[in-house]
Amino acid sequence: MSALLNIDNLHAGIDGTPILNGLSLSIQPGEVHAIMGPNGSGKSTLSYVLSGKDGYEVSEGEMMFAGQSLADMAPEERAIAGLFLAFQYPLEIPGVTNMTFLKTSLNAILRGRGEDEMDAASFLRLAREKSRALGMNDEMLKRQLNVGFSGGEKKRNEILQMAMLEPKLAILDETDSGLDIDALKTVAEGVNALRAPDRGMLVITHYQRLLDFIKPDVVHVMAAGRIVKSGGPELALELEKSGYAEYVGETVNA
Amino acid sequence: MLDAQSYFDRVSGDLSGDATARAAALAAAEAAGLPTRRQEAWHYTDVTRLLGKRTDDTIGAVDFAPLNPLMAVFDNGALREAPVAEGLALHDFEAAPIGDNAMLNYNAALAQGGLNAEISGALAQPLIVTTQGDEPVHLHHKITLAPKAKAVLVDNHMSCGYTNARFDITLGADAELTLIRVQQAGHQIGTSQIELAENARVKSVALVTGGALARHEANVAFAAAGAHAELHSAVLGRGDNHADFTYVIDHQAAETSSNTTAYNVLDAASRGVFQGKVIVRKDAQHVDAQMQTRAMMLSEGAEMDAKPELEIYADDVVCAHGSAIGELDKDALFFLRARGLDEASAIYLLVAGFIEQVLSHIDDEVMADSLRALVAQKIAAQFSIEGAA
Ligand SMILES: Nc1ncnc2c1ncn2[C@@H]1O[C@H](COP(=O)(O)OP(=O)(O)OP(=O)(O)O)[C@@H](O)[C@H]1O
Ligand SMILES: [Mg+2]
Repeated sequence: MSALLNIDNLHAGIDGTPILNGLSLSIQPGEVHAIMGPNGSGKSTLSYVLSGKDGYEVSEGEMMFAGQSLADMAPEERAIAGLFLAFQYPLEIPGVTNMTFLKTSLNAILRGRGEDEMDAASFLRLAREKSRALGMNDEMLKRQLNVGFSGGEKKRNEILQMAMLEPKLAILDETDSGLDIDALKTVAEGVNALRAPDRGMLVITHYQRLLDFIKPDVVHVMAAGRIVKSGGPELALELEKSGYAEYVGETVNA
Repeated sequence: MLDAQSYFDRVSGDLSGDATARAAALAAAEAAGLPTRRQEAWHYTDVTRLLGKRTDDTIGAVDFAPLNPLMAVFDNGALREAPVAEGLALHDFEAAPIGDNAMLNYNAALAQGGLNAEISGALAQPLIVTTQGDEPVHLHHKITLAPKAKAVLVDNHMSCGYTNARFDITLGADAELTLIRVQQAGHQIGTSQIELAENARVKSVALVTGGALARHEANVAFAAAGAHAELHSAVLGRGDNHADFTYVIDHQAAETSSNTTAYNVLDAASRGVFQGKVIVRKDAQHVDAQMQTRAMMLSEGAEMDAKPELEIYADDVVCAHGSAIGELDKDALFFLRARGLDEASAIYLLVAGFIEQVLSHIDDEVMADSLRALVAQKIAAQFSIEGAA
């Protein structure tokens, strides 16, 4: 079976500063991978480069997603192809309600896939069902997108978007940061509900605890823009105990 | 009105009222001439130059029908349709005296008429004053709300010609007025004098989507305690549009408050001007005056001039002003695109959301929706988006 995501020797940077230095990673359909790594090691950069944010130069390597090269695709084309990024810092969009945003997003993606847009009533039903499952009340759908949302509410809202869009590959960039224990469980349930044999997840986190709720198949350690070690769930436990000293040292010497 | 004298000679025979008084007003206006940039209040708006400009703005129909409104339609200055309703009395046109404002003196000399309305009680339907046509028009409206009266007034400017409009708006004690203004094209110099008695409340929401010259001047006087004014404006500038909101907010009495916001989205070579002067008179204690200007610059050729001013003579007041001028938020744009929206649709949503922060001040959702539809139509045309939500 071919990989859902295959990153090979990726080099990327911004304004001439290299950040990703030969990163390779492969996710098979059905797998959940976790990336852990010190601050500034390039985890968010990887998520942005994968989702097509402007300003990053990819100088070497390739990114294949579901058999397509991501390199020349616009961010919206990647979203339509089934890539989803839950942002580390979700944006606030004043004057646009959460509901309008969700509907515009879902319909843009359906349209992009050549499917029929969802009518207002079915959309409302779906949005209510998904938001309730995440412990969000209907009021939050009527509010302006992320404006005045607490840190945890913003993260929950990212998961709501994921639940609505049902991506093939979800990249969660520190979705657990800022969540209380109950919210963490709810969010993890939301993520687990989406696990399927044809889907994959890339979970970026600093805390082993999230991985108690979302069981990863593979854990990677990222340092200085590369994957420096990969292993099973036990690797996360090890990191929790001994930190990154070993890996940071190794890359400095390399 | 570049050659006002010959225009006056031609039309004065058709104008009602005291011809001598009109001639005197014209003489006073001509002595001062059209405002120039040397005058502080006109520093950013070069009237003579802008009057010579044309834009290709189109007039989109705003659908007010669901509001079942009372209509006063001025077609090239002539009243074609007059409203009839309980609580609404229409009086004969009254000429204005000569003052020190040249535009108002031109108006006094040349006014073809206007709505002289007295509102008592709560008007059930909104009153829409539509100005349409393509000829030069001078109108002098007088809207008086009796104590406790309540009304929604729409200044619906649909002309593509030149308009000099004067609005004298007086609110009695506890009266409440929502004032909606829309300008889509043409040249308009509008001057509103708004007087608020005790506990009177006015909320103005203005939307400019086009025009070679849109000058909206408002002078608000708070005569007694409890008076409150909100002045919100949204500008959607494209091409050579020029939109100028100039206010004098005069807190003459203690315990009065004002809240002013100006939101400008400026594309191409359009220009937005905001001048807001807040005066708090001596002894006008406990005044709360807030002023916010925000601009979203979509092009390097666009320009925003924001000049908030505070003149405070009382010591126990809360006054603040802020100004934020920036470009389209690149991170927000990426966020929306990462959720499947193409670039044009993402820009559409960001611009509509920006303008919505002004439209959301309109309490009547049906009214707000009719303006939202106009904004949607204008943005979609500007960014060539089909079927934008
Ligand atoms: N726009 C930018 N301009 C210059 N440097 C940048 C830019 N964005 C990121 N960097 C740098 O790239 C490096 C990687 O940043 P990135 O945000 O990817 O780290 P991270 O692994 O996600 O860190 P954290 O765990 O703190 O979220 C950092 O040193 C950061 O300062
Ligand atoms: Mg990060």
